[in-house]
Amino acid sequence: MTVQSYVENILQPKLQGDGGWVEYAGLEGEKLTLIFRGECSKCLILHRCTDWIEQQIKLDLKKTVKVQAIRKKPYFQDV
Amino acid sequence: MAHIKVIRRSMRPEEWTDLRFGWLKRHIYSFKWEIENLMIRDARQVSEMKFEYYSEDYRPLNKGDMYFTPDGTAFIKADVTLPEQLKGKELWFSLKTAAEICVKVNGRYIGGVDPNRERMLLSPYINENEVLHFEMMGYNRSKPDDERNPESLSVRGCRQVFEGAYICTVNHEVQDLVWDFELLLDIAKSELFNEDYRAFLNRELCNAMNLIDFDSEELTGVAEAKKYVDEVIYGNDNYKGSGDVALISHSHLDIAYYWRRIHSVQKNLRTVLIQLRLMDKYPDFRYTHTQPYVYETLEKYYPEVFEELKEKVAAGQFEPVGAMYVEPDCNVPSAESLIRQCLYGQQTYKRMFGKTVNNAWLPDVFGNSWILPQILKKSGVDYFVSNKMSTWNDTNRFPHNNFRWRGIDGSEVLACVPPTHFITWNMPSQIQENWEAYIDKDRGGQTLNMFGYGDGGSGCTEEMIELMHRFDKLSIMPKCQHMRGDEFLEKNLKNNDSLETWDGELYLEMHRGTFTTKSVLKRYNRRLEFKFRTAEMLSLMKKDGNADTIRDLYKRFLVNQFHDIIPGSHIHPVYEDALADYAEIEKALDSIIGKGTKYFNTLNIKRDALTFVPNKKGTSTRYGEKGNWLIPHMAPLSSAALRSARYSAEWISVDDTVQTPYYTLKFREDGSIESLWDKELCREWVKGDFNKLKIYTDNPGNYDAWDILPNYKDKQIALKVKTPLHLVEKDGECATFEAVLATEKSQWTMLIRLFRRSRGIEVENIVDWQEKHKLAKAQFSCNVLTRKALCDTSAGYIERETHRNTTWQQARFECCHHKWCDLSEAGGGIAIINDGKYGASFEENTIGLSLLRATIRPDVTSDMGMHSFSYMIVPHENDAVTAGINKLALEYNVPLIKADCEWTLPTFEPLYLQAAKLSEDGTMTVVRLSEQDGKRGRIALGRKVRLLNMLEEVTGETDVIEYSPFEIVTIGI
Repeated sequence: MTVQSYVENILQPKLQGDGGWVEYAGLEGEKLTLIFRGECSKCLILHRCTDWIEQQIKLDLKKTVKVQAIRKKPYFQDV
Repeated sequence: MAHIKVIRRSMRPEEWTDLRFGWLKRHIYSFKWEIENLMIRDARQVSEMKFEYYSEDYRPLNKGDMYFTPDGTAFIKADVTLPEQLKGKELWFSLKTAAEICVKVNGRYIGGVDPNRERMLLSPYINENEVLHFEMMGYNRSKPDDERNPESLSVRGCRQVFEGAYICTVNHEVQDLVWDFELLLDIAKSELFNEDYRAFLNRELCNAMNLIDFDSEELTGVAEAKKYVDEVIYGNDNYKGSGDVALISHSHLDIAYYWRRIHSVQKNLRTVLIQLRLMDKYPDFRYTHTQPYVYETLEKYYPEVFEELKEKVAAGQFEPVGAMYVEPDCNVPSAESLIRQCLYGQQTYKRMFGKTVNNAWLPDVFGNSWILPQILKKSGVDYFVSNKMSTWNDTNRFPHNNFRWRGIDGSEVLACVPPTHFITWNMPSQIQENWEAYIDKDRGGQTLNMFGYGDGGSGCTEEMIELMHRFDKLSIMPKCQHMRGDEFLEKNLKNNDSLETWDGELYLEMHRGTFTTKSVLKRYNRRLEFKFRTAEMLSLMKKDGNADTIRDLYKRFLVNQFHDIIPGSHIHPVYEDALADYAEIEKALDSIIGKGTKYFNTLNIKRDALTFVPNKKGTSTRYGEKGNWLIPHMAPLSSAALRSARYSAEWISVDDTVQTPYYTLKFREDGSIESLWDKELCREWVKGDFNKLKIYTDNPGNYDAWDILPNYKDKQIALKVKTPLHLVEKDGECATFEAVLATEKSQWTMLIRLFRRSRGIEVENIVDWQEKHKLAKAQFSCNVLTRKALCDTSAGYIERETHRNTTWQQARFECCHHKWCDLSEAGGGIAIINDGKYGASFEENTIGLSLLRATIRPDVTSDMGMHSFSYMIVPHENDAVTAGINKLALEYNVPLIKADCEWTLPTFEPLYLQAAKLSEDGTMTVVRLSEQDGKRGRIALGRKVRLLNMLEEVTGETDVIEYSPFEIVTIGI
């Protein structure tokens, strides 16, 4: 399974279950860029979640990645 | 002289009190013993009771570890042998968490912890000499129950740091004083209370704190401070409050919202469990709990807790309220759906507790249809409770709290729209606010104040009860009385002749977008409501024994009418669940309906409207399916073999204008109609944009899925004509024109159908919708002078003013309707019939049918993707009732089916046969008839039938149905 597929099919439903949203934006070397929307976009402790994502990818795909999180806040929360 | 604002840098006395209050709270636990052998196993819930585990086994869980995963459930366990020093003491379990955790010890559910409470009493439920086998099940979610509770906000997020679990003892002297301070500081900080009293409190609370020595090794002076509070503060009755407030404990539980339906099973368990334990501790505590559906899940999955609940119900402490199966949206569901909510809800309560309830308890629903009072009254419901109109209206203050609500047919229920929110934490300021906002002080008796955390359940806390026990000590407080919901309603509303009457719908001046958000669900809802009708009727005629199956399917369908599911205000997985449910329900209903050799007219009206009948060899196309347009000429509830007539003569000409037997039309290239000349009635129908697709920016803010702002028309998005309107298909009955419009991201195909033998003009829309923050409407500016619009409610019509004279009309800029709406003057008018739309606006001569929205909260991708839906423009002579628009709308929404069966009962015309089913006890045929035109009359049946209420209880016998305007009649045969 590719990292993109893993993000879209394994991680995405889990984050959605918490009102969050993650999108794969690209993988360059070990840098995995993810876009976070919904509740994730304003989460005060998102770094804990991105750490977990890195651990899960390591565990399931045996790949080392470092997540770069891009928050896309809705306009009404972009203050 | 310029005023220079002084910034005070030193601490004010009130801040000094607050600071020490924080210190005092640190001493609540007299002893804490950490459980150090906890083990955890991560999982994800995949159905109501199934979990997908992330590991084969448990791993150690230590203080400081991360726990919980996105959408994760954690199972935590430990075997605990209590140290000798804890034995013989009152023991508590403590775990500070953002999660919702149910705790089992030695196989028994003994309580719960969540963001609103961090400890639970252990002692009465354990044997301290046994090894205590702790099993915890926790569900974490990024949205805590109550953003109103600031403490829960600080621990929000999917990944949590475990702060340790403890067995502890509580210093009750400190705890009592903490509750005193919680209570008194709330008053001291609230501007709702007398200024001098607040100054007195600030002074004396500081003095009380002065008696505690926080510097000593052992906290000293607590007893003295408590004595000081009792004597000086509680003992002061110089300041008199006013008011009479009924305190009703309740927890609002959204079955699905920021969580899926499957999670509500455990949310409900936790909530019930916590309330049961509070009842153990506080015998005077009463709690109201709604939704028979959640009682069912508790009974099914946690029978031992359900048995305890039953005991508390029998004892009068736990009060089932709310006759409806779930708390449904009360705008979109049809009359029959609302009736089934009551029927199956009351049936469930009766089976479980031996009695039905006489109230509808709908605190959070987004406005209430005018058809409700009759449905409630005939379902054994005398009282109605719903909060939102008082607290959420954005324009007008709803003029009643305790009142009489008169429905469309004249039926009345006694209603309470409490002045404040249904989620409060029983603070004096919230109670005072309720009393001050209460309008009916002189006529309504007490005001209803609900308390308890909610949205995701949780409910009352120990603190709320402890505070309540102190209210009587404070002369400044309104008189407060804790009671059950039914006690409040009977005491204050029953036989209260002073109550004023509200005659009309309970329109909520907010959440107007929920008539339109998640268009696919709305269309499914409409189709399935009629499909249930068909399946039940056929099952009855065929005697196929499917009644139980249909009831089960119905209940599942009703759950999806919950007020955060069908309105569209939920996260994406909830949408997927609803779609999956709908698909399964539809498949099962189709199987019950089956196939036949002949067509059957399930309507009890003569079908003489042009109808599309699918046929692979047909010469017309609708929704991508081949078929023929034909007039069935079918008698009510009868069978026929249908054959399409071949008509080969030219009936339409297309040039600068389009000529049909009924109209001369002038189209614009975008499919809008510039002129619609009626050859029969010799009049022009168009005055302005007509059948004009308009897309507006739609930025309502945080309540994105819920709201539409009044100024949504300010900015309109330009649509490009990708393919100008042109003729694409024609046969002897129908000519279809196509126009393709586009925005930068979306494509909108409009198929406009003109007919040889119908006045209707159908518009099918196929949309690839990829917008954000947009609202699409079809506008119809009619050459009609009127000040009212008629809107179908599914059980009669409601008139709505089209002017903007007062704030009441201004606020209703977007309304709910069902199958049709209409603008008419004396000689004729325009009706718009739809197959799954509910939102519409009416202003002067213009109807705006809301088609699609594109919101991003709570669901980031709400409504994105493919859509198909249709509406029919029907210019007509006379008013909508005389023109038979309702009948036409029924024919438009109820397809002909193929079934070999025979209807042996009367056809009951002119009433609408809303449902025909086997009675719930299987002893008779139940027929439900609805008067929808506002007329009075009688139907002689020629035989005796039983008159029933909507719970299918016999209320009389008759051989003549005497009906009045908008009455729903149920009979048993």
